Amino acid sequence: MLKATLRSFLAHKGRLLLSALAVVLSVAFVAGSLIFSDTLGRTFDRLFASTAADVTVRPQEGLDEAVPSGTTATLPAALAGRLSGVEGVAAAHVDAEVENLTVVDDENEPVSPTTGAPTIGTNWHPTERSPVELTSGHAPDGPGQALLDSETADRTGVRIGDSLTVVAPPGSFRVEVVGIVTFTTTNPGAALLFLDTPTAQTKLLGDAKAATGISVEAAAGVSDDLLKRRVADALGPDAYEYRTAAEQAESDVEQLGGFLDVIKYVMLGFAGIAVLVGVFLIVNTFSMLIAQRTRELGLLRALGADRRQVRRSVLTEALLLGVVGSTLGLAAGIGLAAGLIGLMNAIGMNISSAEMVIGWATPVAAYVVGIGVTFVAAYLPARRAAAVSPMAALTDAEVAGVGRPLRLRAVVGGVVGAAGAAALAGCAAATETASAASLLGLGVVLTLVATVIAGPLLVRPVIRVLGAAFPALFGPVGRMSQRNALRNPRRTGATAAALMVGLALVGGMSVASASMTESFDRQIDRTLGADFIVQNGGFMPFPREITDRVRETPGAGLVVRSRFAPLAVRLPDGDRVETTAAAYDPRLDEVASISYARGDTAGALAAGHLAMDADFAREHGVRLGSTLPVEFQGGRTAELTVGALTDMESAEGFGARGGLFLGLETLQRYAPGGQESALYVNAAPGTGDDELRANLERTLDPYPQVQVRDIADYKKLVHDQISVLLYLVYALLGLAIVIAVLGVVNTLALSVVERTREIGLLRAIGLSRRQLRRMIRLESVVIAVFGAVLGLALGLVWGVCIQQVLALQGMTAFAVPWGTVVAVVIGSAVVGVVAALLPALRASRMNVLAAIAHE
Amino acid sequence: MSTPAAEHAPGLAPADGIAARARGLTKAYGSGETTVLALDSVDVDIVRGRFTAVMGPSGSGKSTLMHCLAGLDTVSAGQVWLGNTEITGLRERELTRLRRDRIGFMFQSFNLIPTLNALENITLPMNIAGRDPDRAWLDQVIDTLGLRDRLKHRPAQLSGGQQQRVACARALVSRPELIFADEPTGNLDSRAGLEVLGFLREAVDDLGQTVVMVTHDPGAAAHSDLVLFLADGRIVDEMARPTAEAVLERMRLFTGAGSRFSGDGAED
Repeated sequence: MLKATLRSFLAHKGRLLLSALAVVLSVAFVAGSLIFSDTLGRTFDRLFASTAADVTVRPQEGLDEAVPSGTTATLPAALAGRLSGVEGVAAAHVDAEVENLTVVDDENEPVSPTTGAPTIGTNWHPTERSPVELTSGHAPDGPGQALLDSETADRTGVRIGDSLTVVAPPGSFRVEVVGIVTFTTTNPGAALLFLDTPTAQTKLLGDAKAATGISVEAAAGVSDDLLKRRVADALGPDAYEYRTAAEQAESDVEQLGGFLDVIKYVMLGFAGIAVLVGVFLIVNTFSMLIAQRTRELGLLRALGADRRQVRRSVLTEALLLGVVGSTLGLAAGIGLAAGLIGLMNAIGMNISSAEMVIGWATPVAAYVVGIGVTFVAAYLPARRAAAVSPMAALTDAEVAGVGRPLRLRAVVGGVVGAAGAAALAGCAAATETASAASLLGLGVVLTLVATVIAGPLLVRPVIRVLGAAFPALFGPVGRMSQRNALRNPRRTGATAAALMVGLALVGGMSVASASMTESFDRQIDRTLGADFIVQNGGFMPFPREITDRVRETPGAGLVVRSRFAPLAVRLPDGDRVETTAAAYDPRLDEVASISYARGDTAGALAAGHLAMDADFAREHGVRLGSTLPVEFQGGRTAELTVGALTDMESAEGFGARGGLFLGLETLQRYAPGGQESALYVNAAPGTGDDELRANLERTLDPYPQVQVRDIADYKKLVHDQISVLLYLVYALLGLAIVIAVLGVVNTLALSVVERTREIGLLRAIGLSRRQLRRMIRLESVVIAVFGAVLGLALGLVWGVCIQQVLALQGMTAFAVPWGTVVAVVIGSAVVGVVAALLPALRASRMNVLAAIAHE
Repeated sequence: MSTPAAEHAPGLAPADGIAARARGLTKAYGSGETTVLALDSVDVDIVRGRFTAVMGPSGSGKSTLMHCLAGLDTVSAGQVWLGNTEITGLRERELTRLRRDRIGFMFQSFNLIPTLNALENITLPMNIAGRDPDRAWLDQVIDTLGLRDRLKHRPAQLSGGQQQRVACARALVSRPELIFADEPTGNLDSRAGLEVLGFLREAVDDLGQTVVMVTHDPGAAAHSDLVLFLADGRIVDEMARPTAEAVLERMRLFTGAGSRFSGDGAED
């Protein structure tokens, strides 16, 4: 029996090829993402572990910054002197490091990375733990000298002797590059600028007595843990945060981990799509192979093979396919990881492919996924194979599986679909974001499963409609292609399902993003009244110096500053809410329009006051005039009075729970040192918008980190932010389409083989090769468009529900991106044409006589 | 023995009354020492308005002869005309058009496209060509073959005999110059077979069609006007106004004595 299985596997290897490709793709993404994140993880582990001091002292971290406020927490530099005397301390030195510098050259061209990686300015204190070594020039000495890392220098052509302008939070200053440092370890992509310690303190932190941390080196024989205890005892256990080298490395990796996790999850998302779509392909291939081999299987049964043996034979084939596919997929995954590492190098990271880490989990996951998927996908076809009766060998039966009733599918699909619809309806009716989101997830999964199950039932009605014009447009060729697509609804349904899954995701996501975009547009139109907005594309804070320059710009009238600050507020109902509050200058009404349930802007921004969303206030028992204890970043606390309650649609977006805002002066009093996140600028009387814009652009030339935008530009910026999400979805779609095309090719190729005699007959009675190709192409198009229509319909339903969830977040607009919908339908027709290329060519090359004589 | 092809001037137009003609028609498979001659320099004239049957034991080349005459297969040597058109040397596209417009086909089985109903199958060649069938003629063919109440049925809903009648109607409806029928009764019971043969006979007698039928059934051959006997790739005999008995008798000579007869077949 094993021999027969092997023979059969080898005999059908051509037909299994496409299934194998689906397995390879899924496994490659799984293995690739694991290898990539392991490699990155190991690289950074090593980097951080080797560069962290034995014990690091840091300011207490207070509140999480959901939105960057631009403050840099510091501690007194004098702590280093105090620690030098502590027993077991060999050395203690000051760290002065700022992560959001902007560095420009003499032409005001940015020297900072364009990839979004930070530019880190820090004090030069070479130790054996430094990630860099000085390779040319000399160490910085004095306020005008700096070192630059060699990668940034090479990229931008900066050489020793060149001068640079550093835009730091306290202000800009010029430095001369006196030396170049080279990374001895992996460079995570950042640009590094080194100053001497006093310069770093005064110019970067704005305070000669401040430090961002103290690095403590242990004396010989003192363990890190012991040292940490002693340092903590010396300074007071709760005054600062103390970390051993290991803890520091761990926390650094954790910080970077967010970024690594994103990459990992994106890759696993791809793997998931590949697996999901691949399953359809494999199920379909095995079903067709078994249908074609009905007589052969019947013969095996007639010769005495029992059902279990037949089933085992098919599953063994699947196992072989899984093993081969997993092995190739693992190899492809290594290639994929190498490619990603190359990509990382291209954007400025420095990781050697030779350091690739392939943990034991990678091959295990690869084989589990590869074999598991194939096995699961082949299980139903295998059971069907086992059900073939010995009589099948003797009768000249039509291909099995065509006529079997779809009643079970109808029932199961109906039940699951009803459950899914109920979940979606529940989601639409829900008032709590959390429950709406989980109902949405449940509904999406259930309706997807239901559509996949019931897909074959929808083939007849939908394709009748889709292909209704075919006979009129393409004559008998059109009619035959439409009927061919209807011939085996199960097969057509399963083939289209792959495309459907991908397009349903795209449909849902594009409705969601279009609705978000529309909501933001409306909200911007309704609330924003400024002529111009000066801000950073990534919504990062910028130095106060820029505010001063903007104010001095000719033609600039009112300038309203806006800052973000994390704070924690204790509410009357006992809840302590950590959130991000906005802070504005008093004349906010002139650049924005805010609707209030109670109170007004003057009340909201008055000293010692704050405003919040009316709904949030009601929920937590806050009333106009309530006094709330508020805790600011840096540890200061204040009792603030509620001066106004707002009535805005989208008060709570972007982690700004409660929609809190207050006067900038109030914030400055309790949390000094923040930076502006945006400036709202109105033209002075008598100045035209174009004139002001030109003036502002000239002013901001030395500050490439901020741009001038009018309302239209601002909308575009917001659109671009949302588009990032869409690009990811499109990439996923691309992968789904590739596999779906494989599926359509697979189905058509097998159909062409099955219909050999029919094709021969058609050719004999005068169908030209071109007409034959068109017939197959049209069938392919109708299958693909069927998948697209089903997917988009499902996606639109999801989109409506996602929008309901968004509405709970204040994004109430609903928009369907009809352009995308039409493009997707047209695109799917193109997919159909492409998928039909090879099968059509093969069919048209078929020898007429051989086809007629085909058994 | 058939006449060597060299005796005939190339490009010679066939006399009027000849629907198809082959001269020196040779079909070889393989090459070198393993060459098998399926047709060995065959000369044949298919007379217009007649029912010609081609008989012979299996492997005699009778199907190959039909395929070559119908432009389904290429020839190794010799010439074939359909009417005044020399089809040897035509390109694939021209051959396809020729089959579509000028030849009708009936095969032993799998004659119909399973996704099309009977009427759609009947009009398929004309539809492919983008022409409308002649309504009156279509109705006449349908009524003659008794298919009026079966037009909306799919092939799977028709009996074997009905399927062959649909194939017959398809072959007739475009009024081809020549109908080739390859074992049209091979898969039918005797009653349905007789019915189909009766229709082919009618097509010749009443509608003036020309039919060439390949068969190995003497009973079927007896319905024809002329039987050509093929053996080892040559036409070895012919019989006008055949009866089943006479054909059977003639065929018996092939069995067990094939090699002898292949040498001294009757002269034309």
